Amino acid sequence: MSKTPWLILMATLAASPAAAHVYLEGKQATVGGSYKAVFAVPHGCSGSPTVKIRVQIPEGVIAVKPMPKAGWNVDVVEGQYASAYDYHGNKLTSGVKEVVWSGGKLPDHNYDEFVVSSFLTDSLKPNTTLYFPVVQECEKGVSRWIEIPAEGAAHSREDKSPAPGVKLLPKP
Amino acid sequence: MRLLAALVTLLILVGTSTGASAHAALISVEPASGSVLASAPKAVEFRFNEAVTPGAIQLIDGAGRARDDARVTTSGAGISVAMPPDLPQGTAVVSYRVISQDGHPVAGSVIFSVGAPTATQPLPNADGRLDVLIWLSRIGLYLGLFVGVGGVFFGRWIAWSMTGMGMPRATLLIGIPSAVVSLGVLGLDLLGLPLAAVVTTAPWSIAFATSAGPALLVAMAAMLLALMALSRAWYARVFAAIALAGVGLSLAMTGHAATASPEVLTRPAVFVHGLAVAFWIGALAPLAALVSKPTPAALPLLNRFSRIAMPVVVALALTGLTLAIIQLEKPSALIETTYGLILSVKLALVLSLLVLAALNRYRWTPALAKDRGAASALKRSILLECGAAFGIFAIVAGWRFTPPPRTIVPETPLAIHIHSDKAMFQVLVSPGKAGMDDFVLQLMTGEATPLKAKEATLTLSLPERGIEPMERNAELGPDGYWHVRKVELPFAGRWHARIDALVTDFEKITLEDDLEVAPP
Repeated sequence: MSKTPWLILMATLAASPAAAHVYLEGKQATVGGSYKAVFAVPHGCSGSPTVKIRVQIPEGVIAVKPMPKAGWNVDVVEGQYASAYDYHGNKLTSGVKEVVWSGGKLPDHNYDEFVVSSFLTDSLKPNTTLYFPVVQECEKGVSRWIEIPAEGAAHSREDKSPAPGVKLLPKP
Repeated sequence: MRLLAALVTLLILVGTSTGASAHAALISVEPASGSVLASAPKAVEFRFNEAVTPGAIQLIDGAGRARDDARVTTSGAGISVAMPPDLPQGTAVVSYRVISQDGHPVAGSVIFSVGAPTATQPLPNADGRLDVLIWLSRIGLYLGLFVGVGGVFFGRWIAWSMTGMGMPRATLLIGIPSAVVSLGVLGLDLLGLPLAAVVTTAPWSIAFATSAGPALLVAMAAMLLALMALSRAWYARVFAAIALAGVGLSLAMTGHAATASPEVLTRPAVFVHGLAVAFWIGALAPLAALVSKPTPAALPLLNRFSRIAMPVVVALALTGLTLAIIQLEKPSALIETTYGLILSVKLALVLSLLVLAALNRYRWTPALAKDRGAASALKRSILLECGAAFGIFAIVAGWRFTPPPRTIVPETPLAIHIHSDKAMFQVLVSPGKAGMDDFVLQLMTGEATPLKAKEATLTLSLPERGIEPMERNAELGPDGYWHVRKVELPFAGRWHARIDALVTDFEKITLEDDLEVAPP
C-alpha cells in the first residue's frame, strides 16, 4: 500500500494544528499596522453549545473595535494599559482589555467566527507570536484556550488548550 | 525563612497518619527516602528529635547484599552512616533501629537508588512472638513489683502480721525472672534479633546501655529485698520499706511517662504513682486472706488500712491525671490514638476499682463490725479488685508498644518542590507509596507569598510504565491548601506530576516535576 495518502493526511493534520481548537484565522500580522483578528470557533466544549466567548487583548494591541454579530451581544471591558501608546497623534493610556460576546448560541456542529479590528503598536516584537487568550463558555463546561508557551518556544504537542496566536512580521 | 516556616506548618498539618512506631522521632534523613541519586552518597545522615543510641543499623546494597562495612557515627540527635566506597547501582536500603532516651527502640528504613531503582525489598520486622514475650514479661514484672513488694510492705508496716503472704511470695517469684526476661527481650527487640539470639551477649549488653537496664536492675533488687523481708529477721521492716521505694524508683528511671518533659514534674509523679499503686494493690491479696478467716484483729486492721488508703488513692489519681494530661496533650487523643485507647480502658478499670474500694470502705467494713457474715461479701469484693488490678497491669503493659501522642510526629510524606520565577509549588503526597495517596498542593508566588488561584488541577503520568496523564481537580481546603484526595497510583516508580493553577480567567501557571513513588 502506498504511503502517499498517509503522508497527505498527516501533512493536512500538521498544517491545520488548530482544527480542534479556537484559533486565529490568518497566520501573520504586521507590527505597526491595523490587524483584523478573526477568532474561529470550530466546536463547543465537549459537544456542548458555545454561549460566550471572551477574548483577552494583549498589551500593545490598541484601538480595539469588535464587530457586532447577529444574535450575540458584544461588550468590552476597558482598563489601563501598561504604557502609553501613540495612535494618530493621540496618547492612549487606556482602552479595551477584553471583548465579550454573549447571549448567543453556537451549536457544537456549527462553525462561526468572531471578529475584532485592532492596531498593533510598534512596541510589539516582530518575529514573535502574539497570543490572544480565549475563554470559551458553553452551556455545560468551559474551555480555556489560554496556554502560552515559554518565550521563544512553540506550542508543544502536550499543550491541551493553546491560546490562539498570530506570527508578527516586521514593518515593511 | 518564611517559606521554611510555611513548609514546616504544612508538614504538621498534613500529618494524619500515626506511623511513628516509638518514642524518638526521625525528623529528617539525607538523602531523602525514595530519592534517586546520580552517584552513591558518601553517607546517610539521620536526624532525630532527641539524642539516640544506635542499636542495629543495616545496609543492603543495590545488588541485594547485606553489607557490614557501613560505618556508623553518632553525635547527639544525629546518626551518620558512612557508605562503603563500592556501593553498586540500584536501590539500597538502610534500616535502622535506635534507642530513644526513654529506652524505647525506634525503627525504620530509608530507601534510595543510585543510578536507577531496582526492586530491593525492605527488611521484614521482628516476629510477633517476641512482642508477646515482651508483654507477658512486663505483666509478670508488674505483678512482682505491685502485688509482691506491695504485699510484703503491707504485711510489715500495716498489718504487722505475715498472714496471707502466699500471694506476694508467689508474685515475687514470678517477678524476678520476669525482670530478667524483660531485659533480654528488650535487647533482642533493640537489635532486631531472633529469639534464639538471647543466649548471646549482644542483646544483654545493649539492654544495659539503655535507661531500661538499670531500672530493671533496681526492680530486681526491690523484689529480692521484699523476698528477704518475708523472713522473720530484724531488718525485715527496713527492707520492706526500701523495696517499696525501689518500686517507685524503678518506674521513675525509665519509660515514656518518666522521660516526658518537664522531667522535674513527671519523674516524681511516676515515683509517687508507683508507690501508691504498690501500696494499694499490694494490700489486696493479704486483705482477702485476712477476711477469709476473720480474727478479732481484722476489723481494726481494715479501719487502719482504709484511713491510710484514702490519701494514697488521692495521690494516685492526681499523679495519674497529671501524667495523662502531659502524654495526651488533648482529650481527643483518648480515642484517636492507641495510647489513648489503652488509657481509656485503664481509666474505666480504675474507676471500677475505685467503686469497689468505696464499697469496701463505706459498706462492707462497717457491716463487718456488726455482722461476721459480711466477711464473704467483703472478700468477694476484694477479689474483684484483684481482678481489676490484674486487668490494669495487662492493659498498661501494652503501652510498651504504643507511642504517647506527644511523641507522635506525622510520618513525613513524599514532598516535591517545584520552582519557577513565576511561582513555587509544594506538593506533598501521603503516604507517598503506590496505592491510594492524598495530595496537598501549596501554591505560592515567586516571592513565597500565597498564590490566589481560582482552580487547580493535578495531572499525573508514569511514562516508564506507559501510564498516560490522569487529571484530577483539586479542592481548596479550609487550610488554604489545595487537596486532591484518594488518588490511585497503581505502580511505584517515577511519576510525572503537573500542576495547573488558574490565576485569572485568562492566566494559568503550570509547573511540573517528577516524584518518586515508593512501593507499598
